[in-house]
Amino acid sequence: MDAGGGRLDRVSADRPRLTDLGDGLAFLWRVLRRYRSIAVVSILGALLWMAAVVTIPRIIGAIVDIAVEGGPADDIWPLLLLLAGVGAVQAGGISIRRYFGFKLSYRAEADIRNRIFTHIQRMEFNFHDMTSTGELMARASSDLSQLRLILAMLPITLANLGMFLAVTTVLIIIDPVLGGVAALMIPALLFTSARFASRVVGYSFDLQARLSGLSHVVEESVTGIEVVKSYGQEAQQQKKLERSAVDIYKAAMGMAKERAIHRPLFETIPAFGTVAVLAVGGIRVVDGLISFGDFVSFTQYLAVMVLPLMITGWFFANLPRSAAASARIGALLETAPDIVEPRRPGPLPDGRGEIKFEGVHFSYPDGTEVLRGVDLTIPGGTAVGLVGATGAGKSTIAHLIPRFYDPTDGRITLDGVDIRDLSLDDLRNEVSVVFQETFLFSASIADNIRVGDRLASDSQVRSAARLAKAHEFICDLSDGYDTVVGERGATLSGGQRQRVSLARGVVRDPRVLILDDATSSVDAVVESEIQEALRQVMAGRTTVIIAHRTSTLALVDNVAFIEGGRVIAFGPHLELLERVPRYAEVLAATPNGADA
Amino acid sequence: MKYMSSAGDHKVEKPGRLLARAARVSSNLKWPFVGTIALAIVATVIRLIGPLIVRGGIDSGIAEGDKRAILAAAGLYVGTLILQYFATAASQFSVAWVGEQYLLQLRGLVFRRMLALDMGFFGRSKSGVLVSRMTADIESLQEFASDGAVMALSNLLTVIGVSIALVFVDWQMAVAVFAIVSVLLGVTRVFQRQARKAYDMVRERIGRVLATLQEGITGVRVVQAFTEEGNQASNFGRVNEGHFEANMAAARAISWYFPVVAFLRVIAIGSALAIGAMRVIDGTMSIGTLVAFLLYLDWFFQPIINLSNVYNLLQSALAALSKLFTIIDEPAVIKDREGAYDLPEPVRGEIDVDHVRFSYLPDTLVLDDVSLHVDAGERLAVVGETGSGKSTIAKLVMRFYDPQSGSVSIDGKNLSDLTKDSRVGAMALIPQDGFLFSGTLRDNLTYADPDATDDDVWRVLSTMGIDDWIRSLPDGLDTEVRERGSRFSSGEQQLVALARAFLADPAIIVLDEATSNLDPETEVRVEKALSVLLEGRTSVVIAHRLRSAERADRVVMIDAGKVIANGTHDELVATSPNYKELVDVWTIGLA
Repeated sequence: MDAGGGRLDRVSADRPRLTDLGDGLAFLWRVLRRYRSIAVVSILGALLWMAAVVTIPRIIGAIVDIAVEGGPADDIWPLLLLLAGVGAVQAGGISIRRYFGFKLSYRAEADIRNRIFTHIQRMEFNFHDMTSTGELMARASSDLSQLRLILAMLPITLANLGMFLAVTTVLIIIDPVLGGVAALMIPALLFTSARFASRVVGYSFDLQARLSGLSHVVEESVTGIEVVKSYGQEAQQQKKLERSAVDIYKAAMGMAKERAIHRPLFETIPAFGTVAVLAVGGIRVVDGLISFGDFVSFTQYLAVMVLPLMITGWFFANLPRSAAASARIGALLETAPDIVEPRRPGPLPDGRGEIKFEGVHFSYPDGTEVLRGVDLTIPGGTAVGLVGATGAGKSTIAHLIPRFYDPTDGRITLDGVDIRDLSLDDLRNEVSVVFQETFLFSASIADNIRVGDRLASDSQVRSAARLAKAHEFICDLSDGYDTVVGERGATLSGGQRQRVSLARGVVRDPRVLILDDATSSVDAVVESEIQEALRQVMAGRTTVIIAHRTSTLALVDNVAFIEGGRVIAFGPHLELLERVPRYAEVLAATPNGADA
Repeated sequence: MKYMSSAGDHKVEKPGRLLARAARVSSNLKWPFVGTIALAIVATVIRLIGPLIVRGGIDSGIAEGDKRAILAAAGLYVGTLILQYFATAASQFSVAWVGEQYLLQLRGLVFRRMLALDMGFFGRSKSGVLVSRMTADIESLQEFASDGAVMALSNLLTVIGVSIALVFVDWQMAVAVFAIVSVLLGVTRVFQRQARKAYDMVRERIGRVLATLQEGITGVRVVQAFTEEGNQASNFGRVNEGHFEANMAAARAISWYFPVVAFLRVIAIGSALAIGAMRVIDGTMSIGTLVAFLLYLDWFFQPIINLSNVYNLLQSALAALSKLFTIIDEPAVIKDREGAYDLPEPVRGEIDVDHVRFSYLPDTLVLDDVSLHVDAGERLAVVGETGSGKSTIAKLVMRFYDPQSGSVSIDGKNLSDLTKDSRVGAMALIPQDGFLFSGTLRDNLTYADPDATDDDVWRVLSTMGIDDWIRSLPDGLDTEVRERGSRFSSGEQQLVALARAFLADPAIIVLDEATSNLDPETEVRVEKALSVLLEGRTSVVIAHRLRSAERADRVVMIDAGKVIANGTHDELVATSPNYKELVDVWTIGLA
């Protein structure tokens, strides 16, 4: 299913909406409250820094006044000592503010990432069918980084705002006219910085998109190099790449233009402030309204405010985007799973794994009805093959048993007990599924088999592998059972992977084994390797197997023939072949099934 | 994968030589580059005039009580500021322009060289590493070009300019400031070593976090099926905590360094004041000079810190450059030799593989003295176990590789004597998964011949019996295939690949048959389209199923790099025990 129709659609739009902004800020606020002690320490550090920042220019001014008035020189030394002391306080303040700001943001990031992971693990199949991996990855990486940045900047921004207020107050106290003129720099720089940041952010998203466009061209050229070379179309790929490169160039130059326009302002705006202080302040010094030291301290105030003003502007420019990212994270975490534990799970019944479907209906959330009243009894310890045309609902039937989905109507029992009354752990411990697409974790083969049963001993792992006909090839690998497989490990063939996942399925010795089209993606040679393994693992176990190949159907006790969302025939394969013409017809359409 | 490490085997050249080579990539940017630097110098010099104007305004205006002199100085300053703004903006823009132009050319060059390399190179290199050359590595150059270069140039000039200005204004105070700056440099070195270590760790660990996360998402169904949620969560928690700790190590480094820098800045101001104030009292220095000195000092510390950051960017840009040169330097083995000629038209499609020996790696012979003849128009199936060398034969026919000895010929002409264009036009390869490029269906169908008209396309589609399927798609030929054809089933991708080959109209088709099962309806379509495509052409089919062997005119069985059986299906079933065994495996249980 496509990623587009996800439940998270409401907040996955690129441009933040007003309600998202509110939701995002509310989420940020809740996060912040959780770490309030760290936040408070960081803010205290920031206040310390602020106090020093406001004091230092005054000390410099006092020293200059002594110099201008011609001494006494000895009066300067205590002031210099004071300056060093306040400098030390400032350093301490910065240190506390930074360290705890980082701690706040990294702690929150790590905790939220854990929550996202745990939450995703709990969400049912329906959710994952509709949500792409990329979307979930984005929540836990780029969105979370946005959130972290804002959290990290929050204490310093609060302190900066306090500082601007304090400095403005001090400036106005020293001299209302000059103070008023100098304080004009604050809105000018803030505005420039916010405008600059929001524009550059826009371009950088654009640039990112184009970079990934180029990466796409490169990727397809490299993975499809045989096709490119076979048709001699290197020039065509080159043209695609150059188009992409020009796109990147344009986005980068757009950004460069914004930078060239705005960045020099961060030098010239403070310099204009200095000019204003020179003109207005100079005249007021001449008129004797302020001291020369006051004049110098004004120039110093202008200098220390430049960087904080830039950062504050950046903060507010990024706030909407971060709030939107926070809103998306919040929405993900608030989406509750539909398939949950029963309030009072009943005990697991004894039995050989009899499965009964009673009037089971199933529709996907988009309304597509897949099962329309399935009645099916699979006697304990027997194997049943599910046969039907593509889309008949075979996989759905198989997936209902371990409660990957719940029926929209009707019920399913395991040894007489409704599976919704069992705890999920109990149920899934008794029902093993071998999926069509084998998925191996990046871990050793032994650990991959142990996914089926964490407590399995080495000998249990080995006997499961023997049962699945995997032991021999595993022993042939360089590190045997310790060979690391999965995305970042050794490559196994399709048949080998399939047998490892079979071993994983049987290591816990489940009551029920479900083989979900487990052999469809391997060729005949490999299937014949697996065939024997299947025969072994199915012996005496309730098995539900989806297959097209007659070779596999030869292994089962009964076949349930599914059409139109119902089981329309049930019985041994050969019997159905004779009794149900439509059954033979559907099988015949499958090339490997009908050949013989 | 974005977070994939781009590290590879390479030796890093000396920075000087590397830069010299880098400069040669695009010689046409030389003068713009020189102009850019000149512009930046002008902008910096204008900026440095400012404090001197302030000094003039103070000493001849404020100190003398001359209001007009004050206003004159202020007016002059405003004038230079306007000049300064435009000069700085222009220089920053042109630095970026030069950098981006350079990247544009570099991207084209590296990719062109990459595509020209032979399959041996692609076989040896992991595709992720190749992709990251063109992406991660060039992006780290991009980062330098768009941000680093401007920062480097303007900050370097500022530091040099301010140093000169400080000495010019008052050398004694300047010496005191330089002493403190040397402490700053030492502290910065320590910090950088610590920070780099921390950030390397952060990078490595975020990679693990994301990989674990992705595994948790893609494997979520297995996790739930085996009630592994708890173990997965605690495993992720561990990896995630490791990333947190790496972040905090970086945070600790930052949390001592920046306070120290701020403290040193205050100390520098204090020292300048201590000396300056005394000399003002002595009357050996004007107060304007002291103020100008303090103004310069404000521009000194931040650029030094910026430069140390830029240095990191420069280092990774250089490392990226040297990796890119490994691709640019890689020689293309398979290319038209001198005197290569065109394959004579019309191409009949006769293939001769003559005493071919071939190995991908030294000492492991994949094909050992293989000889084969395929008649024009014949359909040959090649069978054998995985690793027997059967697909290598297909690759040699396509001249993805040259044999170590022996020869491969078409119509009696040795492949290595033929021009690439004529050779490529005579053959088409259909890989196992079909392989579709992003773009529309039309783009994919006309891949070999972008000039083909829609009429041509529809004619081919209807001949192959798939026009109704394409017509049934809402967007028809304009349907976006998306990345690697994710919208289409694997059977549908194969159909498109077959039609693509048909439109190319080659005399020879090399087909690597898919192994996976298709849904019955599509399978029938594929079979039909395939027989239309192969009609009247020579074909080499790497066969994985019984049907394809049965339908071939002739079957060749390869085992351990040798031809062990050669004849019609029926002949081989009767005469070759090995072949019989394979056929039995194929048919097992089908009865």
